[in-house]
Amino acid sequence: MSEAVQPTTLGLWPAVWKLLRLQALITVRGFRRAKTGTKVGLAFAALGIVSIIVFVFVMSFLLLNLLRSPQLVAALPEAAHLAASVPVLIVQAGFLIILMTGFGVLLQALYLAGDMDFLLSAPIPVRAVFVSKLLQAIVPNLALILAVALPVLYGLGASSGYGVLYYPLVLIMLLALALAAAGAASLAVMGVVRVFPARRVAEVLGFVGAVFSIVCSQSGQFARGAVSAGQAATALRLVARLDVAWSPLAWAGRGLVGIGEGHWPAGVGFSVLALGAAGLVFALALTSAERLYYKGWAAMQATQRHKRPARAGSRAAARSLPALGGRFVPRAVGAIVAKDWAMLRRDLRNLSQLVTPIILGAVYALMLLRGGVPHAEPGNAPAWLEQALLSGLAYANIGIALFVGWTLLARLAAMGFSQEGQSYWLLKAAPVSAGQLLAAKFIAAYLPALALSWGFAGVLAILQGRGDPALLLQGRGDPAPTMLGFSLAVVALCLAAACGIFVAFGVAGAKLDWEDPRQMVSGATGCLGALATAVTMVVALALFAAPQIGLALIGWPPLAAQFAGLALGGAFCLACALVPPWLLRGRVPRLGEG
Amino acid sequence: MVETSLIEMQHLVKKYGDKMAVDDVSLEVRAGEILGFLGPNGAGKTTTIKMLVGLLQPTSGVVRVAGYDVQGQPLQAKAACGYVPDQPNLYPKLSGRELLRFVGDLYGLQRTQVERRIEELLRLFDLTAAGDDTFDSYSHGMKQKTALAAALLHDPRVLVLDEPTVGLDPKSARLIKDILRQLAERGAAVFLSTHILEIAEHMCDRIGIINQGRLIAVGTMDELRAHGQGERSLEDIFLALTGGAEYAEIAEVLR
Repeated sequence: MSEAVQPTTLGLWPAVWKLLRLQALITVRGFRRAKTGTKVGLAFAALGIVSIIVFVFVMSFLLLNLLRSPQLVAALPEAAHLAASVPVLIVQAGFLIILMTGFGVLLQALYLAGDMDFLLSAPIPVRAVFVSKLLQAIVPNLALILAVALPVLYGLGASSGYGVLYYPLVLIMLLALALAAAGAASLAVMGVVRVFPARRVAEVLGFVGAVFSIVCSQSGQFARGAVSAGQAATALRLVARLDVAWSPLAWAGRGLVGIGEGHWPAGVGFSVLALGAAGLVFALALTSAERLYYKGWAAMQATQRHKRPARAGSRAAARSLPALGGRFVPRAVGAIVAKDWAMLRRDLRNLSQLVTPIILGAVYALMLLRGGVPHAEPGNAPAWLEQALLSGLAYANIGIALFVGWTLLARLAAMGFSQEGQSYWLLKAAPVSAGQLLAAKFIAAYLPALALSWGFAGVLAILQGRGDPALLLQGRGDPAPTMLGFSLAVVALCLAAACGIFVAFGVAGAKLDWEDPRQMVSGATGCLGALATAVTMVVALALFAAPQIGLALIGWPPLAAQFAGLALGGAFCLACALVPPWLLRGRVPRLGEG
Repeated sequence: MVETSLIEMQHLVKKYGDKMAVDDVSLEVRAGEILGFLGPNGAGKTTTIKMLVGLLQPTSGVVRVAGYDVQGQPLQAKAACGYVPDQPNLYPKLSGRELLRFVGDLYGLQRTQVERRIEELLRLFDLTAAGDDTFDSYSHGMKQKTALAAALLHDPRVLVLDEPTVGLDPKSARLIKDILRQLAERGAAVFLSTHILEIAEHMCDRIGIINQGRLIAVGTMDELRAHGQGERSLEDIFLALTGGAEYAEIAEVLR
């Protein structure tokens, strides 16, 4: 008989070391087994990051030198103060970024990771699991922050002639604050999960995060050209005010500057205070982990079977839509469409992807309205110029409406099949033909995108005074009332073309083995699909416009030219809507066969 | 009475690259018959089942369900078939009732008929109270029962089940056994894969054993015993056919 196995229990840090080593091993193995293309891509990415670091260092060095130049100090005293506040700002920003991003990452790592059952049933301290998960979770964000913050802070040190001790202290301070931020984030996660289900928190967080990031990215559009020099100076003064002695976040930056400049009492004092506070937060997180984390995790297991009935309205929608669609489309198609819409609506993680085009639409609508509308006053310009201006404006509206609809299609049509995920077996085993499935996915994507784009184009036309329903009823308002109808038809046809192409790419790149809806995107296919549809829509718009321009030059009436444009562009769009899915129909029955 | 073959597999082959997952499997299941499909892990049971219900395309060979070629006439074959997978992955944000309505629409059933069947099936599987809950709150067993309810909704002539009793409590497992027997008595063909040999021995009319992709035995219990070397129980027959020499070593390690 073989020798009896004697299991031994590990202490905290040996267990942490083992878990981290395991993770490192998995990462290294993953890299070794990756395709050559992936390895080359990663090597290029690493090279790119190193180049960015060098670039940021050089730029920081030059810029900070410039900020300290006597001429600039004389002209803009706030700028000089800003240079002195750089370490405080960067350290604070790094802390806040890790705190905010760490919440979502730690929620996933601590409560929703697939290996938690295994780890928590193993004879290792819960605290070790907690620490290893914490460290794994912050490493990517910390690396990113170090890649940006270190060159800036070292650039500052070099440009200001700081002492040697400054450089290692920067690294120590950033690491300590990152651990403190992660600790604080973990405390927040553990607290929230005690009250709300972890999965629901993740869904809400994904939704809020998506809305926040898109709002932030688009807010630049508003700010463009609207910030005066005075407002900029006020903003600089506000930023400088963050450097206050009572803020623990400012201690770290002040300590770094003190050490760098050789002001030892202030430098050492602030540094010790900052490191002490960071250590305290991390220690608090660590000591709370044993009780809070395990209890929260255990409670999550116990409350998994909670009653969460689907809303009555949703049920009615799911039931009534196929009945409505049954008159026009097969019942199976209507049922799939209704099911897809219900799934999209009910999962906040899906909504976080769908909200982008709606926000984009709102932002661009406000920008258009704020920018005003070009008018050619009747009688002040030749008729052909008036017509050209109207057409130009109509095409600008069409372009924006199409962009909004296209953004929505990129999610709904391109991922129509992928969103079935591991439940696809149900459709595949049912008596539903490939044509019906393609039709269902087309309709489920096309109708919402069309409604959004039409709504957007219609509202724009009304706000611009060209499509005012009251004026149109009185026979006034838009001098060419058919332009709105033409615009809507062009939008409908272009979106149909894009939808057909996106659906086809969705079949080609279908990914059914995802766990989180945000993982269903197939990168290469998604990019190719976006590129192909963008090119198609540009070509289609050219075909819609060409007869209008050409026939107007030889004196045809605008209405006839519009019809000619619709016929040419429409034929192209319908071909694009139908042919790509038709070509891919043979692949539909084979989806999910690996 | 003429015994109709509702499931026919002829020289079924499935290859993944160089790996032969299913190697020349031929068998049939007649109306009113329950066939138990056994085999060790990775023997090719699930691959065979997936080809049977049209989820996988065979490399070669033919599968017919209710007389329809699954590859040539997939819609007719699928309409005659009900399928319960080993992992009941169901749309997490749909409720049990919604899923069953959805399945009813996919199979083109009349709405009034569907509503009646849904209530019957939910009651049968003790899911009435949870019928309006979404699947992300269901246990594995509840999902398994809903998947079975979905497979039974259109009263299929052929029922294919992959490990149907995994994760079920004894009451539900017994219920499933009773339902399968009733279905068979009403003339349906049941094709069932399982690792629980007791179920196969006592419930199935015939048993097929697959190992390393090849169908190594098929027949009634008496036929399997007759071809064996004196083994009486299905467990002994199964181990003798699929290899069991390593078990003594395992017992030694565990001792």
